[in-house]
Amino acid sequence: MSEDERYRTSTQYRYWSYTPDSLAELRTTTNRIAADRVREAVQSAREAAVVSSAETSETENGSRAATAIQYIKRFYITNSLMTYHPTSILKTALFFATKTENHYFRLTKFADAIGKTTPEDVLASEFLLTQGLRFTFDVRHPFRALEGAVMELQAMANGQIPAADKPWEGREMGKRVKDAHGKAREYLKTSALLTDVYFHFTPSQIMMASLLIADPDLLTWYIGVKLPAEPMREKVMMTLEDCSSILRTVEPTSQPSGDELKELKRLAKKLNKCRNPEKMDLVGLQRAKREGEDGEEEKAIKKRKLEREKSAREGDDLFGPALTKNES
Amino acid sequence: MPPRSRLGAGETGTSALSANNPSDDICPVCKSNRYLNPNLEFLINPECYHKMCSTCVDRIFTSGPASCPVPYCGKTLRKKGFHKAFFADLTVEREVDIRKRVGAIFNRRQDEFETLLDWNNYLEEVESLIFDLVEGTRDEKVKAEEKLKVYKEGNRGEIEENRKAGLEEADIARRREKAEKEAARQRRLAAYREEEEEKADAQRTKRDVLDRLATSNEDANKIAQHAQRVILKKTSARRNLTDAQANSNGSILDSGLTINVRGLKKKEAPIMEKPYDPFGGVDLTPSHYTLQKDYDNEWLGNAKNDIRHMAGGYSIEEYYARTMFEAFSGLGVFIEDEKVPEKPVASSTIGTAAAVQAAGGTVNLEDKMELDDVF
Repeated sequence: MSEDERYRTSTQYRYWSYTPDSLAELRTTTNRIAADRVREAVQSAREAAVVSSAETSETENGSRAATAIQYIKRFYITNSLMTYHPTSILKTALFFATKTENHYFRLTKFADAIGKTTPEDVLASEFLLTQGLRFTFDVRHPFRALEGAVMELQAMANGQIPAADKPWEGREMGKRVKDAHGKAREYLKTSALLTDVYFHFTPSQIMMASLLIADPDLLTWYIGVKLPAEPMREKVMMTLEDCSSILRTVEPTSQPSGDELKELKRLAKKLNKCRNPEKMDLVGLQRAKREGEDGEEEKAIKKRKLEREKSAREGDDLFGPALTKNES
Repeated sequence: MPPRSRLGAGETGTSALSANNPSDDICPVCKSNRYLNPNLEFLINPECYHKMCSTCVDRIFTSGPASCPVPYCGKTLRKKGFHKAFFADLTVEREVDIRKRVGAIFNRRQDEFETLLDWNNYLEEVESLIFDLVEGTRDEKVKAEEKLKVYKEGNRGEIEENRKAGLEEADIARRREKAEKEAARQRRLAAYREEEEEKADAQRTKRDVLDRLATSNEDANKIAQHAQRVILKKTSARRNLTDAQANSNGSILDSGLTINVRGLKKKEAPIMEKPYDPFGGVDLTPSHYTLQKDYDNEWLGNAKNDIRHMAGGYSIEEYYARTMFEAFSGLGVFIEDEKVPEKPVASSTIGTAAAVQAAGGTVNLEDKMELDDVF
């Protein structure tokens, strides 16, 4: 069973991989707004992540925020921003990410860390988000893959793994790999998360594409070593080019420009106006749902009890209880 | 297939009847009666199985062979051949005698035959011969006797061999039984002796303790404790000794049993089972890379050297395997080719429908999967 076949068993491949066309089909006009919104949500996700995990290390924090962002992106493929506001969904997504990325927070502590949030706020959209994620919590990131590729490249540079016709001398190649590593990481931490590459490419391809941006010569040589057979190499290189061109649309260092921020603000205002009024108060809805169900049940039980008592009372009569009228 | 033999017909259980049968009390030859002679005893001769009292036998046959006094029998009998009948029913007695005689000649054993069918065929042949001898007409009887004789002549050597083997077997069984009995007796004796010894020992130490208490100036508690220890030590030593003896006895007994076991088929060594494969033969060898024992990685320096990272069972090899797997897992998966867009499912988008109305109907509904409305 090859590595590719094993990837095909993952939920990320089975449920959350789309061609650009089908994804575009999913996000129709409403979803173009949604995509912009997601970008905003992602921005705030990063801020929130920083707030909530001041004491955790950079890398862990990164993968957690990345997971939360993917949850939000997946959720808003099938749900509109106008129905559910990102801020409430975001908190839940972050909370889920702490669990799936093995960095557990107590719920009350988590709510405190975010600020202006109660545990009920976090839990209100718990099931909603889970359903939106199709009950799949596994997100495959390219971060660990990058570590693997860099480890192997370093081993090739210092001669641990024999490599045919190395174009660079050992130390020079080591430095090249190190530089490419840092640059690729930046792309993975920002561009990969803010674009749709997770839907269109596999983690391995995203990682290779980021390396392609960082050091085209190094990666072309590396792919040549790994895939000597011709049609396959051509195909993979083309896919990596596609991926890298998407990654390039959002440069890691770029901050939203003034115009963009203004546009975002305008959109936020518009969203506030056109939100679905029925779905505004998720906490209230959640409570009403829970209590409503209980109330219904209690009423039914009470009614049955009363009827039973009445029939028992009348059963003492000489001629038995009155015949009940059939209501149907 | 011969009919059921008379032996199996349950006629041996006639002793209860015999008490009431008047012919059992009167000798058919001299007509003397049990009533007059309480010691009356009947004898038979396997030549003709005619019953007569012991007085008659003495009277007629003491002076040498004579013909049977029963009318129309006329067989020549000798006194030596007379014996007491074991079964009350003489036909059964006769059949058993015949079976004994035939069995001594047709004494083949099952392990001489290649298949069970052969063995059963042989048994059936013998059984029909016996039936002819027991129930057959005169001609049949003569024929069967002839067969018996021919077989006896033809297989003299083998018959003798099998007879010896049978005797040997019986002997081994007897010896084994005897050895078992003896072993049990020895065990009983040993246990008894041990008990006695222990008692004597305890008494002796007790006496010693009393002596020492009386004569020496040591602390009384100390002396008592010492004595206790000595007793414990002795008992445990004795137990070890008996255990060792029991083991050696067992091995001797075993070696006695394994001599001369005939006809055992050769045992084949069981085929070695392969180690269990949890993946059912799925090959997980990576195709794009070979995993190295160790990689240079500045980020992992801490994990490699710090004992706290490894204490929980964390294995750096696991990390290597996982990173390398993820680096190439899916490199050859082309989503654009493989994920052919499915036909959008016509569905009611519950949550969004209301939002569309709220937005003034200027937006289209997105295609989404069928989901329950949570709220």
